Amino acid sequence: MSAGTVLAPHLSHPTRERPPTARKPRRAGIGLRAQHHLQLLEKRPPVEWLEVHSENYFGRDSAHRRVLEKIRAHYSLSLHGVGLSLGSTDPLRLEHLGELAELVRELEPTFVSEHLSWSCIDGRFTNDLLPLPYTEEALQHMVARVGQVQEFLKRQILIENVSSYLRYTCSQVPEWEFLAALVHYSGCGILLDVNNLYVSAMNHGFDACTYLAGIPASAVQEFHLAGHVINRIGQHSIRIDSHGTHVSEAVWILYRAAVRQLGARPALIEWDTDIPALDVLIAEAEKADRVTEALHAVAA
Amino acid sequence: MLSLRELQRHFGAALFDSAPQAIMPWICADGLDVESRIRIHRNNLHEGFLRALALEFPVIQRLVGEDYFHQLALVFQANHPSRSGNLHHIGRQFPQFLVGLLGGTRYRYLSDVAALEWAYLVSMGAPEATPLDPSVLLKFSPETLSELRFTLHPACRLVRSAYPVLRIWQVNQSEAAETEIIDLDSGPDQILVRRGAEEVELHRIARGDFALLTALASEATLGDAFDAACGADPHFKVGEALCRAVALGALTEPRISPRAVS
Repeated sequence: MSAGTVLAPHLSHPTRERPPTARKPRRAGIGLRAQHHLQLLEKRPPVEWLEVHSENYFGRDSAHRRVLEKIRAHYSLSLHGVGLSLGSTDPLRLEHLGELAELVRELEPTFVSEHLSWSCIDGRFTNDLLPLPYTEEALQHMVARVGQVQEFLKRQILIENVSSYLRYTCSQVPEWEFLAALVHYSGCGILLDVNNLYVSAMNHGFDACTYLAGIPASAVQEFHLAGHVINRIGQHSIRIDSHGTHVSEAVWILYRAAVRQLGARPALIEWDTDIPALDVLIAEAEKADRVTEALHAVAA
Repeated sequence: MLSLRELQRHFGAALFDSAPQAIMPWICADGLDVESRIRIHRNNLHEGFLRALALEFPVIQRLVGEDYFHQLALVFQANHPSRSGNLHHIGRQFPQFLVGLLGGTRYRYLSDVAALEWAYLVSMGAPEATPLDPSVLLKFSPETLSELRFTLHPACRLVRSAYPVLRIWQVNQSEAAETEIIDLDSGPDQILVRRGAEEVELHRIARGDFALLTALASEATLGDAFDAACGADPHFKVGEALCRAVALGALTEPRISPRAVS
């Protein structure tokens, strides 16, 4: 593999030298986007772990995949899926799952995650994360789908809460109860997106701390932190998950509450639109570390 | 009680077909009205698609401007909604869509530029394969040679245009600083897209070479491909053309067609 030898001549056997996966990261990581591939390989900044969107690296020998393999030689990776559409009643796309399984085999990621949402109906994809109604039927559906994926991948997956802008009249339980039941019946873990939780709590007027208290702490394995925007529509304002700005002060406050309630977990900075310089992302991750450390200092 | 499938179908109608009536009673109308809530997701649908399409066709966006590209993306999405959870597939039909929209006009060249951008992406994502080792060819007698069938390397794509699309592509890269007036009549272009060690490369190749590779790509024997190349260029020299193709890593190991064996 020519490109690899140019950039990292001593790494002819990356699988032997890659960082171990068993140990969970202790510090915050960043979401890796293609803009930063080369800079990361050249400068190797001291970020403990990286998370990528699984779909961006589908295709066994694609150019992106080859770069990712080189990055994997130096950093722990996690895979975050945005396209499996677990909540959809369309059949699960087995070729999509197959691609994911191959990626999991090759990269040995620390975490593999997907969303508590649906994206397609009758073959048409919104490529958006649409909320589910929290009903008995939807729970059974999600438990079956998560089970199918975990069995296929032969490992646990984490399910992430999404930002929500609407609620269904047919929902029977609040989201935290639905998520707790999903964990109970499927054995999945939780990726708690603190920004999404804040956005949904503000949009629907529930107490985010009730949510934190309502999910099993032992199932939460990862936090996401990202930015959002406030849109004004007529008399009303609604918070929209943009992943395009700094983490807001209110979300940092909720993050402190989450760490106090659930314990410290690997946190990840996500930034998907108007992606800034790598240094900005790293500084945001360092800020998350300072927040976590300050809480530990207080506790000690 | 509405089934989950019915709820998703109603929601899909609101998003894809601008028919929100069926889903509306199933969405809570507290505070912000239901239509505005649905509109957020319809915006997400359009914005996500637009962003992904712009990443796949940056040269087209630069050529037509952001506003018109936005309009193009909306019409294209209405006709070709995403059929995959992987956004990297959405642009496959965009070049053909532009042919339908712009064929017969002086903007026809845009569809060829789009075809070149798509070929670039396909090359980037293609599987790896071992390029042909030229010494393999020495094993065959001249008669057998003409019965060989080659396969194009999976990361190679051929794009032909009546317009100078390679130059158009080059001067519209984001890092290209100076502007340049390009004479649309300074074509045609025959381009081989391939993946080098570090990045995807675009090579302008001769008319005869292009005809040869096109024929080989559609599973013609080397003999038939040679005839096709001579049709395109009477001075075509197959030995030199094969050397150039092999040097570019465009071919993989040949198969002997059944006729040659018998």
